[in-house]
Amino acid sequence: MVIDASDVRRRYGETVALDGVSFAVDAGEIFSLIGPNGAGKTTLIRALFGTTDAEGDISVFGRPPTEVDRGRVGLLPQEFTPADRLTARELIAYYAGLYDDARDPDAVLADVGLADSAGTFYENLSGGQKRRACVGSTLVNDPELLVLDEPTTGIDPTGRRELWRLIEGLADGGTTVLLTTHYMDEAEELADRVGLLADGELVALGSPAELVERHGGDSRVVIEADDDRAAEDALRAAGYAPIDAGRHVSVPADATEISAIVERLAEAGIDYEGLAWRQPSLDDAYAALTGTDAHGGLDDGGETPPETTTTDVAPEGRA
Amino acid sequence: MSRLGRIGAETRAAWFAFVRRRTAVFFTFFFPVILILIFGALIRTDPAGGGLFAEPPGYYVAGYLAVVVLFTPLSRIGSEVARHREGNRFEKLATTPLSRGEWLLAQTVVNVAVIGLASLVILGMVLAVTDATFAASPLVVPYLALAVALFCGFGALLGRVADSQDGVIAASNGVAIPLLFLSETFVTPALLPPWFVPFMDLSPLTYFARGLRAATYRPPDGAGARVGEAGLVGADPYLNLAVLAVLAAGFFAVGAYALPRTD
Repeated sequence: MVIDASDVRRRYGETVALDGVSFAVDAGEIFSLIGPNGAGKTTLIRALFGTTDAEGDISVFGRPPTEVDRGRVGLLPQEFTPADRLTARELIAYYAGLYDDARDPDAVLADVGLADSAGTFYENLSGGQKRRACVGSTLVNDPELLVLDEPTTGIDPTGRRELWRLIEGLADGGTTVLLTTHYMDEAEELADRVGLLADGELVALGSPAELVERHGGDSRVVIEADDDRAAEDALRAAGYAPIDAGRHVSVPADATEISAIVERLAEAGIDYEGLAWRQPSLDDAYAALTGTDAHGGLDDGGETPPETTTTDVAPEGRA
Repeated sequence: MSRLGRIGAETRAAWFAFVRRRTAVFFTFFFPVILILIFGALIRTDPAGGGLFAEPPGYYVAGYLAVVVLFTPLSRIGSEVARHREGNRFEKLATTPLSRGEWLLAQTVVNVAVIGLASLVILGMVLAVTDATFAASPLVVPYLALAVALFCGFGALLGRVADSQDGVIAASNGVAIPLLFLSETFVTPALLPPWFVPFMDLSPLTYFARGLRAATYRPPDGAGARVGEAGLVGADPYLNLAVLAVLAAGFFAVGAYALPRTD
């Protein structure tokens, strides 16, 4: 076991940042901590490394946080910004110079896809390149445990996917990864297991599939109708249980029911802009467990977030 | 990698980070130069022999050097600590083998190099634009190094206390300006009320200015203020250096301990 945390607690005055959090991470695992802003993710990471004073039992590689061999871990803090007037190569060489047994900086640059930008000042790199350089700074000591606190925040989808491939490659090579993220698709794509933190408590723990099955709800058809009320009435008359989800109508249904719903809408003369079948996702589990969507807003019962699994159905029933 | 290697890596990074900030480099050297031009060349001495700048020009060389050993480390280290905090760099460094003491030592080495160069510029300027005389002494080097280490530690404390780079600059000016003028640099003890003179011994900069002046300044016969007659350890340059060394060790240790990690 790489990380073993039991009943971890941390308060800042009256504010409870961590309230009895317990979890463990096995060797070679990608474990993702998800949760709203202020849920306690970063505080938990700081507790693991002894940079905040938390109560409870924590061991990393079998040792208390402050006694962990620093050569075995790599940390990318949240909103980390290194010196901006160093080139990418100087930056990696700087961090490599802090370790007894460091990797060749050029090899690290190649791993994070920055070999061609080695001579570029950090401040002149693109957003995605900056994050990759920061991740590179955590790889210089070839860590057995890599901790990444929101590594893809603020970078474009292409940059995110490049980082995902890098993280997957490291995990395939045996590196244990602890990752915090706001992006449910990121956790679903990368993590072997997910821990959901809310208000300092670990409210759910399991594989993404387990969390979706337990808390994600049913699959459904989401309809963007011109007249939501008319669409709901038509579907209710046909025996469905539609939900007014604010900007659209959501109908619990499995894939075999799509055509029947389309036909029913056509028969009733309902106009609609779009219709999609949605499988439950980690977003839905997150919303059910926290009462918010993954982007910090109130749960509207079926808002389609970016990059979730949907099957679009052509609006053939449009009258 | 040895301790020396870690300090070397940090020193290289800190050096590049400084020399590539052109504004910082320019004003680090421009500030003392403009002071010398104003105080050494423009301001006229009171013909009656009283008031400010009534001493022979050589008396003020220690003051000019005090300007850079005081202001540069305070503002540079304070700002660097603020930058590291804002970028969460200390949080990352806390998970590397680099200790807080090693980090501060590396920053001190860079400051010693920068201030050493600035001191050469100051000495050249003083000798070029004033009638000052300066007796070269090997004690100049330890005086500069120890004073820089002292104020690097102080700067780390300010960086810990202030919550932003702006706050650090304001705090360092608030600390440095009273110290500069109440530490036997430009204002002689004779110009201060007698009750205040013992308080000058509380300023670390006093030991720098008094000791360095004793080591490098030979007043003309009958010239105004005597060098370091008053004070805890008098005018002995070695005793003043010893006090400075003790204070430097203390401030450095406290400054290193004060460096933040996260919260």
